[in-house]
Amino acid sequence: MAHGRGLSRRTVLTMGAALVMTAACGTGSGGDGKVKVWHGYTDKEAAAFDKLAARWNTTHPDQQVELVFNGGNDNALQKTLASFASGNPPEVAYQYGSSITGLTGRPQTQDLTDLLRGDAAFGWDDLFPAGREAATVDGKIYGVPALVDNLSLVYNKKLFDEAEIAHPTESWTWDDFRSAARKLSGDGRFGWAYVNDGTEDTVWRFLALLWQAGGDLLAADGKKAAFDSDAGLQAMRLLRDMAVTDKSVYLDAGDQQYLNLFNSGRVAMLWTGPWDLGSINEDVSYGVQILPGRVTHATIAGPDTFVVFGDNGRTKALPFLKWLLSAEIHLEFAMETGHLPIRQSEVDLSGYAEFEAKYPGTKVFVDNLAKNVTKSRPNIPQYPKISQVLGTAVQSVLLGQAEPEAALAQSRGEVDQALAGS
Amino acid sequence: MTLDRRKLADHAAGWGFAAPAVVLIGVFGLVPVVWSFALSFQHTDLTSPGTFAGGENYAKLVADPLFWDAARRTLVYVALFVPVTLALALPIAVMLNQRIRGVVLYRLAVSVPLVTSTVATGIMFSWLANPQFGLVNAALDAVGLPKQGFFSDPGQALFAVVAMTVWGWLGFAVIIYLAALQNVPRDLLEASSLDGCGRARSFWHVELPLVSPATGFLLVWLTINGLQLFDAVYVTTKGGPLRATTVLVYHLYNEAFVSFDGGYAAAIGCAVFVLIAAFTLLQLRFNRRSHYEVR
Repeated sequence: MAHGRGLSRRTVLTMGAALVMTAACGTGSGGDGKVKVWHGYTDKEAAAFDKLAARWNTTHPDQQVELVFNGGNDNALQKTLASFASGNPPEVAYQYGSSITGLTGRPQTQDLTDLLRGDAAFGWDDLFPAGREAATVDGKIYGVPALVDNLSLVYNKKLFDEAEIAHPTESWTWDDFRSAARKLSGDGRFGWAYVNDGTEDTVWRFLALLWQAGGDLLAADGKKAAFDSDAGLQAMRLLRDMAVTDKSVYLDAGDQQYLNLFNSGRVAMLWTGPWDLGSINEDVSYGVQILPGRVTHATIAGPDTFVVFGDNGRTKALPFLKWLLSAEIHLEFAMETGHLPIRQSEVDLSGYAEFEAKYPGTKVFVDNLAKNVTKSRPNIPQYPKISQVLGTAVQSVLLGQAEPEAALAQSRGEVDQALAGS
Repeated sequence: MTLDRRKLADHAAGWGFAAPAVVLIGVFGLVPVVWSFALSFQHTDLTSPGTFAGGENYAKLVADPLFWDAARRTLVYVALFVPVTLALALPIAVMLNQRIRGVVLYRLAVSVPLVTSTVATGIMFSWLANPQFGLVNAALDAVGLPKQGFFSDPGQALFAVVAMTVWGWLGFAVIIYLAALQNVPRDLLEASSLDGCGRARSFWHVELPLVSPATGFLLVWLTINGLQLFDAVYVTTKGGPLRATTVLVYHLYNEAFVSFDGGYAAAIGCAVFVLIAAFTLLQLRFNRRSHYEVR
C-alpha cells in the first residue's frame, strides 16, 4: 500500500494531472482499440511499467494496452467510479486493497475466478496469499495483485549507536520497543513516528498492534466488532503510554513529514514498507527488522490490486496482466523499482539473488510475507466506515483526548452499528 | 415594421453574444444544481441508478449530529474569516493608496497570496505550523511563549485554517478596496480638508462610506466562499484532528466520495445552498440601505 509515498510530490502531481485526466477522459475509450490501464506510478516505477507495456504491445497487435496515469492512487476509487458514471471506464484500474469492495457491486467489474483459477499456466495459487486475498471478495476474484507490501521496523543505526542501545532483534518485545523509543527521544528528537491523520494510514498500524497482542478486528462470523478486547486494550495502551506518557512519538498530521524527519535524524524508528526505502538519504545508515512482538510479531500487508472492467478487460487486458505477473517479468519490474516479489516462484528464480543484493533491506519484508502476514483486513463493504471509526478512536487516544477503554467502547458501538446497518 | 424587425435582430444578436456564457453557466452551473436537488430525494451510490427516497435524506440530515457539528464549525469559521479579512484588508489598502517609494513592490507583495494555489499555501502553512519543527513554534519558543499544536490540536485547528485562508484571501480583498479607494473623487477629499477635516476624519466620513459598495461586495463574496470552504481543509487537516475542521462541504465530500451516500450528500449540498442564498439575500438587502452613490 502506497500510503507512505511523499505527499508533497504526490499532491502536486495530482493537481497537475487532474488536467491530464480531464483530457484523457475526453478522448473516449476504444477509439484506437487499445485497452486502458489506469495507474499511479511515477518516476522509476512509471518508466519500468512503460517499458514493459511497450514490449507487450510489439508482440500483441490484437491486445494493445495504453497506460494512463491516474493522477495519484489516493483517490483512484473515486476517479474510477466517476468514470463509471460518465460511461467511459478504463479496462483496468490500480486500487488500494481496501477499495475493492467499493467496486465489486458494479456491473462493470468482472468476476475473473474461472479465468484465473482455471489457468494452470498462470499459477494463481503461487501468488502470495496477501495479494490473492485482497483481490477476492466472497470467494470471487475481481483482479490481480498489483503490489504486495507489509510493515517492518526501519531504524537509524547511528542514533541507536549514539544512545548505546542494542539494535532491534527478531525477538524484540513491545517493552523493548517502548523503552528504546523513550531513550531515543528528547532534544527535538522522537523515538518513533505515527501517522495520525485518522485515515486508513492511522488504522493499519493499529491493526498490526492488535494482531500482535493476539486480538482480532471482527468476530469470526464478521457480524460484530471484536477489537474491544484485552488485546485491543493493550494495543491502545501502548499507543497512549508512548505518545502521551513518554512523548516518544512524533505524530505526523498526515503531511507525511515523518520520512524527512527520519532523514534528518529527528525520528529514530519507523513502521513502514519497502516503498519508503528508496527515499531514505544515502548518508543515513538504516537497518530493517521485523516488527516488535507481544503474543506474535504479526505485521499487516498493504496489498494493491489491478481491478478489471468490461468485456475488453477480460479478453484484452487480463492477458497483459497475467504476463506482467509471470515470475520472470515481475522480477524484471522488481529489479528496476524495488517492489517486493509477488509470487513464490519469483523468489526461487536464479536471478532473485541479484535482486536481494540490489535491495538489501527488502529481505525482511519478503520473509514477512511468508511468516508474519498471518491476517488481513476484511474485504467487506462496511470496511471504509469501520476504518473511519477506528481512525478517530486511535487519533483520540494518541492526542490524549480519550482513554483507551472509552475509545474502544465507543468505536465498538459504532462498528457494530455499521455492521448491522446493511 | 422595419423597426420591429431591427429590434428582433438586436435581440437575436444580444442573445447570440450572451449564448456562450449562458450555455456554460447552464451546463456547469444550473444543471448540476437541479440535478443534485433531484439526487437529494434518492438513495444512490452515484454510479448505479438510484431509488426514490422521499424525504429520508432530509430526515437523516436533521438527526445527524455530525451535520450540526459541521454546520456550527462552518458558521464559526465564516464569523471569523470574513470580518478578520475585511479588518486587515482595508488598512492595508489605505496604506498602499499613498504616494510612497516602492508602492508597486508593496502592492505586488500583497497580491502574491492571491495567485498562490491553495495546495502550495497548505503545504507551506503545514510546515510553518508544524508543532515540533515549525518556524512559528521556534519563534514562540525564542520569546519564551509556549509551543502550540496548530493544525494538530483539535482545539486550534479551525483557527489555524482561519489564519491560513485569511492570508490567502487578503490580497484579493486589498485589491478590491484599493480600486474602490482610487475611485473616491479627489475633489471630495479636498473639500473635506478645506472644511477642516483631518486625515482621520476624512477617512472616516468620506472614504469609508464611499467604499461601502466594495465592503458589501466583499462581504457577500467572502461569505459565499467561506461557507463553501473545502480545499484548504483537504490539503491541511483532512477534516481532523478528531473532526475539528470537518466543515459542511468537507462533511458532504466524506458522505459522497468516501461513504458513497450520494443522496445524503446532495441533501447536505442543498442545505448549504439554502444557507448561502439566505446569507446573500440578507446582505444584499442590508447593503442596499447603506450604499452611498457618487453622482
